[in-house]
Amino acid sequence: MHSASSPSPSPLVRAVGRALPPHYATQEQLISAFRELWARKHFNLERLEDLHRAVNVSGRFLALPINEYHPLVSFQQRNDAWVRSAVELGEKVVRQALDKAGLTPRDVDHVFFVTVTGLAVPSIEARLANRLGFREDLRRTPIFGLGCVAGAAGVARAVDYLRAWPGHTALVVAVELCSLTLQREDLSIPNIIASGLFGDGAACVVLQGSEAGAPGPRVVASRAVFYPDTERVMGWDIVDSGFKVVLSAKVPQLVRDNVRANVDGFLAAHGLKRSDIRHWVAHTGGPKVLQAFEESLELPRESLARSWASLQEVGNLSSASVLFVLGETMESQEPRPGDWGVMMAMGPGFCAELVLLRW
Amino acid sequence: MAELEGEVVAEIRRILGEELEWKGAVEPAHDLLKDLQLDSLGITVLAVGLENRFRVKLSEEDAVGVLTVADLARLVTQRVVETPGERR
Repeated sequence: MHSASSPSPSPLVRAVGRALPPHYATQEQLISAFRELWARKHFNLERLEDLHRAVNVSGRFLALPINEYHPLVSFQQRNDAWVRSAVELGEKVVRQALDKAGLTPRDVDHVFFVTVTGLAVPSIEARLANRLGFREDLRRTPIFGLGCVAGAAGVARAVDYLRAWPGHTALVVAVELCSLTLQREDLSIPNIIASGLFGDGAACVVLQGSEAGAPGPRVVASRAVFYPDTERVMGWDIVDSGFKVVLSAKVPQLVRDNVRANVDGFLAAHGLKRSDIRHWVAHTGGPKVLQAFEESLELPRESLARSWASLQEVGNLSSASVLFVLGETMESQEPRPGDWGVMMAMGPGFCAELVLLRW
Repeated sequence: MAELEGEVVAEIRRILGEELEWKGAVEPAHDLLKDLQLDSLGITVLAVGLENRFRVKLSEEDAVGVLTVADLARLVTQRVVETPGERR
C-alpha cells in the first residue's frame, strides 16, 4: 500500500473534459412538462412540484429536445436514442479532453467507458474508436452498473492499470443520459424524485502512468468500500420498458453512518488526517447527501461549494458528476503543488470509492 | 367517522405493504417512525397515497402531533369531512 511519503511517483490526471447536451430546460419548464402526467394519478400536484424544487437544481441539459421524449415508450426506442446521443456526446468530450492534455486519440492505450443509463454492443468506446481513430491495439473496458460511483471508481481502476503500465495513457469516459431512462408511466414517488434530480452529461478524464513528466495531480491511492445488505438502497429494476429506478431515503443515513470512518481510515493509512485535505471533490448526489458529507466530515460549506454549484447548474449527472467537480477543481488554479485532495462518490451496491490526490 | 377511519387504516396498510414493501403488521397504535420504520421518503409515499385515495391535501403543519397510524387516520378523516364534495 502506498504511503503519504512514498517517493515513487503515481499515475497522474492530465485533464478532464466536460460536455453537456445542447437542449436545456429549467426546472420550472420540466415541472410544467411533468404536471399533466402526474395529474393522471396524483391529487396534490403542489407536493410533487415541491419535491422537484427541493432538490436545489435550477435546470438540466437534455439529450433530446423536451418534446421528443413523448414518443419514446419502449426500451428499444429509448436505448436507440441513448446510443445515438452517447456516441455524439462521447466523441465531443473525448476530443475536448485530449485537446486539453495536448494528446491525440493515437496516444491512448486503454479506454475505460462507464455508464449506467444505456446499453450498447459494441460498446460506446468501440463506436468512438471508429469516429476518433484510436489505435488498433487499443484496450477497452466497458463498465456498466456502478452507477454514480463509476466516475471515481473508473479513475481508480484506470490508475490500477497504469501502475502496471507506467508508460501508458488511459481515458475514463463517463456518458450518462439519465433523461433517456425516465419511465414516464412510473408515477411512483422515487421516480418523480429521480426525474427532478438527474440530468445528462459526459466527462472524460485523461490519465497517464508515472513515467509521464507532465503536470497534473497524482492519484496516490484509492479505496473501495462495500456496504453489505444494502441492495435495495439504490439501483435499477430492469423492466420491459427499461430501467425502473430503485431509490430509498437511506442514502444520507448511510453516509452519516459510514463516510467519516471510511475517510479517516483511508487517510490514516497514508499518514494523513482530514485537516490535511485542501480539496474535497464530492459526487453531487443531492442536497441531503451533500449535507451528510459536510456534517460527517465536519466540512464548512465552502469545501463542497463546487459540488453544490454543479448540482444546482446541471443536476446529478450520475458517474459524470464527480468528474465535473474534479475538472472544475483542477482548472480553478486554486490547487498548489503539495496540496492533498480526496475525490469521493457513492453508488449502487451500496458502495463508495475514495481517491487520494496530490497536486 | 369511525367507518372512514377504518378505511384510512386499511389504505395505510395497503400502501405500506404494496408500495413500501413492509412485511410486518400495521396496527392503529403503531408509531409511524419507530414501529413502522418509515423514513422521509416512506412518509412522502404514504402521504401521497392517502391524498390520492381520499382526495385531500395534507401539509407539513398537519404533520405536527401525528405520531401513530391512528393519528394519521384521524387527520385524513378530518380533512375528508372538511373538504366539500362527494364522499369518496
